[in-house]
Amino acid sequence: MWAYVLRRVLATIPVMAVVALFVFSLLYIAPGDPAAIIAGDQATPQDVERIRASLGLDRPYLVRFGAWLWDIVRGDLGTSIFTNLPVSHMIRQRIEPTLSLMVLTLILAVSIAVPMGVVAAWRQGTFIDRLVMGFAVLGFSVPVFVVGYLLAYIFALELDWFPVQGYTPIARGFGPWLNNLVLPAIALGGVYIALIARITRATMLEVLSQDYIRTARAKGAGQGNILFLHALKNAAVPIVTVIGIGIALLIGGAVVTESVFAIPGLGRLTVDAILRRDYPVIQGVVLLFSFIYVLVNLVIDLAYTLFDPRIRY
Amino acid sequence: MDRRAFLKTGAAVAASGGISAPALSQGAAARTLRFVPQANLANFDPIWGTQYVVRNAAAVVWDTLYGVDDKLEPQFQMVEADQVSADGLVWTFRLREGLRFHDNTPVLAKDVVASITRWAPRDPMGQMLAAIQNEIVAVDDRTFRWSLKQPFAKMRFALGKNNTPCCFIMPERIAGTNAFQQITEYVGSGPMRFLRNEWVPGAKAVFTKFDGYVPRNEPASWLAGGKRIMFDRLEWVVMPDAATASAALQNGEIDWWENPIPDLVPVLRRNRNLMVDIADPLGNIGSFRMNHLHAPFNDVRIRRAVMMAMNQEDYMRALVGDDTNLWKTLPSFFTPGTSSYTEVGGDILKGPRNMDAAKRLLSEAGYANQPVTCIVAQDQSITKAMGDVTADLLKRMGMNVDFIATDWGTTGQRRALKNAPGQGGWSMFHTWHAGADCVNPAAYNALRGTGDNAWFGWPTSAGTEAGVAEWFGATTPAAEKTAMDKINTAAMNDVVYAPTGFFLSYTSWRRNVSGIQKGPLPFFWGVSKT
Amino acid sequence: MSSFVADRGMVNAQTVRAAAPMPDILPTASARGGLIGFCRRNPTIAFGGLLLLIMLCIAVFAPLLWTKDPTALAPALRTREPGARWWFGTDMLGRDVYSRVLYGARVSLLVGFSVAVLASAAGLFIGLVSGFIRSVDAVVMRIMDGMMSIPPILLAIALMALTRGSVQNVIIAITIAEIPRVSRLVRGVVLSLREQPYVEAAIASGTRTPRIIIRHILPNTLAPLTVQATYICAAAMITEAILSFIGAGTPPTIPSWGNIMAEGRALWQVKPYIVFFPAIFLSVTVLAVNLLGDGLRDALDPRMAKRL
Repeated sequence: MWAYVLRRVLATIPVMAVVALFVFSLLYIAPGDPAAIIAGDQATPQDVERIRASLGLDRPYLVRFGAWLWDIVRGDLGTSIFTNLPVSHMIRQRIEPTLSLMVLTLILAVSIAVPMGVVAAWRQGTFIDRLVMGFAVLGFSVPVFVVGYLLAYIFALELDWFPVQGYTPIARGFGPWLNNLVLPAIALGGVYIALIARITRATMLEVLSQDYIRTARAKGAGQGNILFLHALKNAAVPIVTVIGIGIALLIGGAVVTESVFAIPGLGRLTVDAILRRDYPVIQGVVLLFSFIYVLVNLVIDLAYTLFDPRIRY
Repeated sequence: MDRRAFLKTGAAVAASGGISAPALSQGAAARTLRFVPQANLANFDPIWGTQYVVRNAAAVVWDTLYGVDDKLEPQFQMVEADQVSADGLVWTFRLREGLRFHDNTPVLAKDVVASITRWAPRDPMGQMLAAIQNEIVAVDDRTFRWSLKQPFAKMRFALGKNNTPCCFIMPERIAGTNAFQQITEYVGSGPMRFLRNEWVPGAKAVFTKFDGYVPRNEPASWLAGGKRIMFDRLEWVVMPDAATASAALQNGEIDWWENPIPDLVPVLRRNRNLMVDIADPLGNIGSFRMNHLHAPFNDVRIRRAVMMAMNQEDYMRALVGDDTNLWKTLPSFFTPGTSSYTEVGGDILKGPRNMDAAKRLLSEAGYANQPVTCIVAQDQSITKAMGDVTADLLKRMGMNVDFIATDWGTTGQRRALKNAPGQGGWSMFHTWHAGADCVNPAAYNALRGTGDNAWFGWPTSAGTEAGVAEWFGATTPAAEKTAMDKINTAAMNDVVYAPTGFFLSYTSWRRNVSGIQKGPLPFFWGVSKT
Repeated sequence: MSSFVADRGMVNAQTVRAAAPMPDILPTASARGGLIGFCRRNPTIAFGGLLLLIMLCIAVFAPLLWTKDPTALAPALRTREPGARWWFGTDMLGRDVYSRVLYGARVSLLVGFSVAVLASAAGLFIGLVSGFIRSVDAVVMRIMDGMMSIPPILLAIALMALTRGSVQNVIIAITIAEIPRVSRLVRGVVLSLREQPYVEAAIASGTRTPRIIIRHILPNTLAPLTVQATYICAAAMITEAILSFIGAGTPPTIPSWGNIMAEGRALWQVKPYIVFFPAIFLSVTVLAVNLLGDGLRDALDPRMAKRL
C-alpha cells in the first residue's frame, strides 16, 4: 500500500508541472511589457531596458521558467502589476473568505445531496425520484449568479433574514461568520448538489441490486440500516470521487458568487485582476486553485483505501 | 441551568475569548464608520495618482498647509501664520505647534519643503511656482521661506486647494521619493492613520483615529478648520456593484454610500432609516477627453466634428436619468451657478445637433477610418454610461470605434501613456471633474493647454493659456470674467476637451450618522454615529 | 465500479454522467417508426429538442420578430417598464430589452454549438491518437491531466486575459478548457474497444489502423461523444454568460445574455426585468440542451438509462 501512496504522490508532480508551465506561459505570452509598466510613464527606453535586465526578462524561456519555479517553491508568487503588493500577500489576505465559502458549501451540499440521492434511489421511479432528478437538471441549468440574485432578493432584501453582502472573519464568532455565508453557500451549492445527488442515486441503484443487499433484506435488516449502513458504505467510493472532482465546479462558481455577494475573497480578486490584466495575480490564483484541486483529489484517492478495503493496489 | 450559572458560564466563556466576540464587535460597530467610496483605492500616493478616490482617502491621512473652506477660500491649516514681503516675492510661513506625523515624530519645516518639492512638478500651479522660484528653504524647525522671481497671488490657494494633486505634507524621507514613482510608506500628518496591513485593494481600506493629531479650534469647513474625528475607525468598503451597495446600506451593513446611482435613489428615499441628499451643489462636469497627440483626434476639425454631433442631453440622461433638476447642458467648461460662469464661445454645443455637418467636417479633415481607441471603465457608472453613449455617437458619425472595456484603475494608468493608440495608448476616455475644481482656471488642470505638460490628452491651446495667464494677472472681478470668456472661447475652438454636461450627484447615509458636509469630497471630520 | 474509478480523470459534472462503460454497438435508433412514435418513446428528447428548436428559430429570425436595433440608444426613453411598446422594457440607455434578449440568443447558441463541435472534434482527434499511439499517449495525457486540474472557468478566464474580448476568443477559450475531458472520454472508449475480441482480431489480421478506426472505433465513439457534446454545449453557454457577467467575455458592445445581465444588475432592485428576461432565456436554453443530452443518453445507451 505504501508503494501505492508513494506512486500516487509522485504522479501529482508531472500534473503540477504542466499547470506551472501553462501558468508561466500565460505571463510569458501576455501582451504588454512588464518592464515598461514597472518603469512608469516617464521612463526612457534605457530605463526600461535596464529594468528588463534587472528583472531577468532578457533571459531565455526555460531559464526564466526555472527561476520563476524556484521563486514559487519559496513562496514568492511575484508582485502585482497594479497594486505593487506581493501576490502571495494579496492571496493570504483573501484566502479565508474563499475557503470558508467552499468548505461550507461542501458540507451543505453533501449533507443535502447524499440523502436526496439515497431517497431517490430507494424510491426509484416515484414522484420523489422525479422531483430529485428534476431538481438536478435545474441545478445544472440555472447559472449561479441568477440563483444568487434571487436568493439575495428574497431572503436578504424582502425577508431580511440574512445580510445581503460581505464577510465576517470566523475569528469574530461562528454565528456572524455563518450568517454572512449562508446565502452564498446555497447559491454556489446548487450545481454541486445536483451533481452529487445524481451520482449518489446512480451508484445506490447499482449497489441496491447487488446480491448481498438482497441477502441483508432477506435477513430482515431494517430499511434504514440497509440504505445507510450497507449500501451507502459500498457506494461511497464513486460518490467521494465525484465530490472531489466537483471541487472544480465550486472554484469556478466561487468567482461569480463572491462578486454577487461582495465577499472579499480570491474570486473577487480574480475578477478585479482580469479587468486590469494583472497577470501575476491571475497566475497566482490559477496556480493556487489548481494546487488545491490536485491536493484534494490526491487526499481522496489515498482515502479510498480507508473507505473501501476491497481496493488493493 | 439557572440564571446565575448561565452568567457564570458566560463570564467564563468571555474570559476565554470565546463567543463574546460578536458582542464586542457590536460595541466596536458604533465606533466604526463604514463607508462605500466611489471607486476602489488601488494605489495610495496622492501626488503620483490624481484620481479623486485617492485624494479623498489621502485627505484624512495627510494634512495640508492651508485648506479651502466651503467658499473655496484658503484658510490656515498646518500653517499658523504667514508673511509676504512688500514686493510679494518672499513668503515666510510658520507652522503650528504640536504637529506630529503618525510615527510620532514632529512635523518640521524640512519635511514641508520636501513635500512641496515633490508636489510641485505634478501640479500646474506647482509648475508655475517652480518656474518662478528662487529657492525654498527651511529656516528653522517651524519656519520655511519661499522666495520667488515674480509675485504669486494665489499662493495660499495653491497650497490649500482641494483639487488633485493636493499639497499633502509627508515626512522628508518619504517626500524624497521621485514624484513620478509611487511612495511605499504611508506616514500621514492628518487626523487618521492608514492601516496598511488591513488594506485589501479591491475590497477595503481601513483608517483609525490618530490620537496625536491636534485639530484647529475653528469649526470645520471642507479642508479648513478643526478636523475632529468622532469615531475610532473608518472602514472603506469597496463595492463595484451598485445593487450590492444599495442593499447593504438599506440593511445597515454600511453607514454611508458616497455615490448612489440615481436610479436607486427612489428606493433609498423610501427607506425611513436613510438620508439622501445632493452631495455637492457645485456638481460635476462630465468630460470626453481626446488624445491630441495621435490620429484621429490630433486634428482639430475632427475634435470639432465630435462637439458638433454630440448631444449632451443623451449623456446626461444616460448618466443621471429623467429628472431634469439634476442635470443641465453645458456650453461651457465652467461650473454653472457660480459668479464668474460664462458661456461665451460655447455656441458649438448649443442648439440642435448637426450630424451631417459633423460628417462633412470629418471627411474634410480626411478621416481615413483610423481606429478610435475608447478606454471605457466599466466599474464606474459615470464612465460606463458616457462610454456607451460615445460609442454609439462615434459609430453614427461613421468612425471606427475600438471599444476597450476596462476598469477605472486601469484607465488611470493607461491614460498616462503617450504611445500611439495601437501601441498601448488611447484615443479618448471619459472622466468627470468636480464643479468645485471648475469654478475658475486656478486649479482647473484639465483645462490647461500646455501640450506635453498638460493633463492627459496633452492638448496644446495657446489661446487658452493666454487667457489663463491673463486670469492669474487679473486684479478685478471684471478682468477675471473677461479672461474667462477668452478661455472658454479658445478652449472650445481648440476642443481642449468636450464637456458632456453638468450633473449633480447624490450621497446617502444612515439616519444615525450626522455631520455630513456638502462638498466635492467626503469629509469625515465632524461626522458622528450614534 | 472500477471502470468509474479508472475514468475519474474526467472532471466536470456532465462527463461524470457519461463516464460509465459504453455499449459495444450503437443501437440503431433511427430504424424505429415515425416521428410521433419517436417522441412518445423519448419524451425528454422531444421536449428538450422542441425548446431548443424554438430558441434556434428565435436566434435565426431575430430581425423578423418585431425587434429593433438591439444596440440603438435612446437615453430619453430609458428604464421604461415592460408594456405594449417595449415588451421587455428598456434598459438604462433606452435600448430595447426584448430586441437585446432575442439577439442575445445568437451569441449564446453560437458559443454553445461552436464549442461543442470544436471541442468534440479536437478531443476526438487527441483521444484517438493517444488511444492508438502508446508513445504519444503518456505525454498527451499528462498534459491533459495538468489542464484538467485547472478549473475550467478559471482556465477560460486566464485565456481571456490574454486577448481582447470577442465572441471568437470566447469560443476558443472555452473550447480549450473543454478539450481535455473529451480527449479522456474518447481515449477511454478506444482503450476499452481495443480489448474487444473482434478489434483484437482485426489488429492481429493486419488491418490498417485508419480502417480499424473508421470501421470499429468511430461508430462506437459517436454515441458517448454526442451525449458529451450536448453537455459541453450547455456548459459552454453558462461559461459564456459567466465570463460576460464578470467582464471577461463577449465585449459589452455586443448584446449577449451575460452582458445584458451584467449591465442590468446595478438596477436589479428597481428594474428587475432587465436581469430577469435574459436569465430566463439562458436558463431555459441550457435546460433544453441538458434535457436533450439526458434524453440522448437514455436513447443511445440503454444500460445507463436505468441508472442515471
